[in-house]
Amino acid sequence: MDMIAPLAKTGAISPEMNLWLAIPIGVVFGYALFHAGFTDGRRIAWAFYFKDVGVPVVMFSAIVTGMLGLWGLSLVGFLDITQVYLLPTFLLPMAIGGILFGLGMVIGGYCPGTAVAAVATGKIDALVFIVGFLLGSLIFGDLFPVWGDFYNSDYMGVVRLDQTLGIGLGAAVFAVVVIALVGSLAMRWVQQHFWPTTDTDPQQGAILKLQGGLIAAALVIGFALAFFPTESFIDDNPEPPHYIIPKTASSQ
Amino acid sequence: MKFGTRWPPVPAGILIGISMLLAFVVAGRGIGASGAMTRFVAWVQHGLFPAATEQSAYFGKYFADGAHPLYDYVVFLVVGLIIGSFIAAWLSGELRVEVLRGARSSMAYRLALGLTGGVLAGFAARLARGCTSGQALVGGAELSLGAWVFMMCIFAGGWMAAWFVRKQWI
Repeated sequence: MDMIAPLAKTGAISPEMNLWLAIPIGVVFGYALFHAGFTDGRRIAWAFYFKDVGVPVVMFSAIVTGMLGLWGLSLVGFLDITQVYLLPTFLLPMAIGGILFGLGMVIGGYCPGTAVAAVATGKIDALVFIVGFLLGSLIFGDLFPVWGDFYNSDYMGVVRLDQTLGIGLGAAVFAVVVIALVGSLAMRWVQQHFWPTTDTDPQQGAILKLQGGLIAAALVIGFALAFFPTESFIDDNPEPPHYIIPKTASSQ
Repeated sequence: MKFGTRWPPVPAGILIGISMLLAFVVAGRGIGASGAMTRFVAWVQHGLFPAATEQSAYFGKYFADGAHPLYDYVVFLVVGLIIGSFIAAWLSGELRVEVLRGARSSMAYRLALGLTGGVLAGFAARLARGCTSGQALVGGAELSLGAWVFMMCIFAGGWMAAWFVRKQWI
């Protein structure tokens, strides 16, 4: 079956068109980041004090949306998953990178996407964060031979949670929806426990209804995917050797 | 109902997820922000030290076969991100030049920590091959093992340091 998407990979649009379409996609991303409250570093940092758990809840919602869309559209034959760039795993570098990144986030108040979005709204603290971020990237790149071996270590290829856990792909998708929901509710509970708020939002009932409806829809789609036979549609051994960067530049 | 400036987290997250899904469907890849930053420093350094940057083990690939480091998907994406955030803030009347900091935090303290956190996050994003968007969100949706470990470790790292910088925020 000929699939339509990804448009840039199936030849439906030219590489140049694909580049230009990145701009409206970025506009949606930036627009959403602002309305998520992520152009305020305090709101991001407060997640680590459970004072405002909006960050993890937004992240969970974004992941569930992207995940249901990606795998759902693949299963119905609209999106050719083998043409999608799937991120490879370098387990230990990613774990250490994650810890350092978390330190950077709580100390600096932003991550790169939110910092860029915040600068666009006039936040000087975000601009300073970006200067630091550029410096950090420069240090990493210029001293790459120092940590290049570690950077390329613990390579596992493109490995998914369902393969690691030995469960079906659809079951893993449904599990992530459930984990996102339970995790969000648990963090909400902790927030209300440590930072009880007295002000009530007049729209609270409507917001609850809206979010409840969206979550219910995600649960239904996830539940349906859990029963889809997924074994046949994805090659489990894609090998992307070009992701690996040699430690030292190859001599001419 | 009317959302106002700050949307409830679920619809806000869904719109971020939709931008990611659009990238999957159109480009066959995810969104991300840190890659554009790396390309930007590579471009600046190339302006100062062209030969050394082209031979650099890490930055050299951005210049392979006469390529321009800024002519890339991630850079176009970040241009859009800037426009989108600017439009949203403008329509909400929230465009303001200011330094956001906690009630107990001085301006100098906030900016010093902002810079420090930036350096750490910048280094870490390169080590982990992506940031919150390009690695955690996109990899999370792709069910990537490394991305989920990265995400858990972000929160572990954040909680580890939270107590020490609490005066900046709360």
